[in-house]
Amino acid sequence: MTDDAQELIGDYRYGFHDPENSTIRFDKGLSEQVVRDISELKNEPKWMTDIRVKAYRHFVERVMPEWGNCSLLNMIDFENVTYFLRSSDKTEKSWDDVPDDIKNTFNRLGIPEAEQKWLGGVTAQYESEAVYHSIREDLEEQGVIFLDMDSGLKQYPDIIKKYFGTVVPHSDNKFSALNTAVWSGGSFLYIPKGVSVEMPVQAYFRINAKNMGQFERTLIIADEGSTVHYVEGCTAPNYSTDSLHSAVVELIAMEGAKIRYSTVQNWSSNVYNLVTKRAIAHKNATIEWVDGNIGSKLTMKYPSVLLKGEGAHAEVISVAYAGNGQHQDTGAKVHHLASNTTSNILSKSISKNGGRSSYRGLLQVTPKSTGCRSKVVCDALILDEHSRSDTYPTMEIGNSTSDLEHEASVSKVSSDQLFYLMSRGFTEDEAMGLIVNGFFEPFTRELPMEYAVELNKLIELEMEGSIG
Amino acid sequence: MNYQQMAIPPRSEHLWRYTPWPRIHPSSIDEVPIAADVIFSLEGRESFETIPQAADNFDDIARSFLHATGSSCHRMVISGQSDPIHINARASGHIAVGHLELEVKDSAVVFIHISGEPEWVGLHITGKIHPNAHLSFGFINELDSNSKFLRCEDWTVERDAELEHATLSVGGFRCKSDMRTTLNGTGASIRQSITVNAIGARHDDEHVEIQHLHGHTYSNLVMNSACGGSSHFIGTGLLTITEGADKSDASQVFRNLLLSEKARAEAIPELEVLADDVSAAHGAASAPIDRNQMHYLMSRGLNPQEAQSMIVHGFLLNAFSNLTNKCLIEEMRTRLTVHLECELRR
Repeated sequence: MTDDAQELIGDYRYGFHDPENSTIRFDKGLSEQVVRDISELKNEPKWMTDIRVKAYRHFVERVMPEWGNCSLLNMIDFENVTYFLRSSDKTEKSWDDVPDDIKNTFNRLGIPEAEQKWLGGVTAQYESEAVYHSIREDLEEQGVIFLDMDSGLKQYPDIIKKYFGTVVPHSDNKFSALNTAVWSGGSFLYIPKGVSVEMPVQAYFRINAKNMGQFERTLIIADEGSTVHYVEGCTAPNYSTDSLHSAVVELIAMEGAKIRYSTVQNWSSNVYNLVTKRAIAHKNATIEWVDGNIGSKLTMKYPSVLLKGEGAHAEVISVAYAGNGQHQDTGAKVHHLASNTTSNILSKSISKNGGRSSYRGLLQVTPKSTGCRSKVVCDALILDEHSRSDTYPTMEIGNSTSDLEHEASVSKVSSDQLFYLMSRGFTEDEAMGLIVNGFFEPFTRELPMEYAVELNKLIELEMEGSIG
Repeated sequence: MNYQQMAIPPRSEHLWRYTPWPRIHPSSIDEVPIAADVIFSLEGRESFETIPQAADNFDDIARSFLHATGSSCHRMVISGQSDPIHINARASGHIAVGHLELEVKDSAVVFIHISGEPEWVGLHITGKIHPNAHLSFGFINELDSNSKFLRCEDWTVERDAELEHATLSVGGFRCKSDMRTTLNGTGASIRQSITVNAIGARHDDEHVEIQHLHGHTYSNLVMNSACGGSSHFIGTGLLTITEGADKSDASQVFRNLLLSEKARAEAIPELEVLADDVSAAHGAASAPIDRNQMHYLMSRGLNPQEAQSMIVHGFLLNAFSNLTNKCLIEEMRTRLTVHLECELRR
């Protein structure tokens, strides 16, 4: 790593990278031929190739967003990105069969250990494709399908064809078009009627190569009355040049189903993280997005829920930490499209060392959706005079029977709280760390224990030297 | 850059999202129509000074358009005035445009009452509050229910000066207001309240920007709207605390009371904070009338219309609770009461 990169990245603990031993690597740059080559390489059905090409054409025609951090967005050089890189010839079911260099990476990230202890299934994606995949036998026996997306398309083409792009169409935005054109990897998860998956299933996404683009596609379908908790983690090494992560996640919760989708995004600060996450909740279904954003150069991510069925509920809890050179532009969008639907949004952010955090949210109640209730709370902490915090909430209320509230506050760490803790023997750093961990507590308590501990450690690491 | 060289603002800008420029322009957007002057008159005072308009250096399309259509500017310098000043702005004809410039060097109470039956009226008000001065400003929009109204305001509040700004918007068919205030000195403050009664098919879009350029500045914005019929209210606010403006205190509250199934309301209270030692907060709420309140009033003999009117009255009056000048509060309260009583008798 160059000195410049080190300065840029700081103490990012997952910034190591392994020698690149790819079996297939496309040249940098994007064209219709690249899109067709990816599809051909994966031996996809014609309908998927057609969708990819259509999406690519839309991507080319679509202008960059004219809102958000346009100066950073316009720095993305789409011609300097590798759109497909295969590191392993197949997705292994046994950890021992994964190539050593990749296995070492995931060992250092603690993935196999976590799987043994507390996971129902794991997908590990390295660059463009999944390299390891497993699911507990008892879940498989109950009919739970948990595959990487490429295998899902091969084994269950009818289900994929029925639901792919129905929640996030390729024309939704420029980056969903890009993802639809060049998607590779991701997870496909189907929970049959009435099945409750007690242990979380996890996907771990790792970018290792320089100037790599990772475009995974995830589709989760929870059939009537089922429940599942899906956990996603992300890291990348430190390079002085930028990488691009542009995923699309589609969740469908049928009547009475519940999906919780937890993310701890810890990309290194040279990664553009431009993700479209959206869910559809049918009658009495529940969608929960638990979203932690620690790393990346620019994150633009607004988990959304379309409450389509009466009595559906959405819960979004998100935290963002913006350090030096980072802009965390995150938020949540909830569309109340049916009557008696409810939602809660809690957003917390910290800006430090010149970082910028923005909450951008939308709460919409359509004219025919009566009796809806929603509450949005945004809290922001600014830790020094060089940092910045913004909130851009939007409430669109289309009828007179709904009850919606929004509140937000921006402040610095209270000197009274610091004084109180220091008078009880904590150093200023320790006191600050405790206050910040307490600030994020509503988020961490929703995470599985191991993730919560990890997140607290990450925050402590990021907070080092934040005093003075 | 003049109006005709400007690009049409995209709808991705919140300012133009719900009332895009073509919807508020009086004719075709490429045109700069010939406009009559809005007639300003003062109750019991000498007339204004009329001055040529300053050069067009606006980067905002609405201001630039008003500049292009207006011919002259009415200017008033206020110093040592103790009685409230009532300015009547009368608009008539097809298109009318008025420019007003206020300079306040002492304490003053100023009301602008706009009325008339024009098809379209545009008003640009600029104001400067000198150091240590205090202005209580009330704006009452009682235009005809078929008029389109575009209003831009630019205020500069200097060191230790105060601006109390109240708006009562009950007239016009389609209204777009863009009010911007710069707190340009330590200790500068603004208390702003906006009250909107949207009835029938009214469309009212109120945008407020407050910029804290210095430390120890204060802003408080309250926006209350009652939306009935098939009306549509949009409230957008942008509070910016610039780097170094420490010890600033900024807050904004948006409340919408929805009275009918077809009424719509949007609230976008935005904050941009670039300083760390500040207090900044915003809140927004939208809800129907509380059934318990209706039940209580009706159990005491009021019919449903009277009960609703009383609740709306109390709710809208609450927007003025952040103001301190009694004369300003009383005038706004009276105008609102008269308006609601007239509406009830219809």
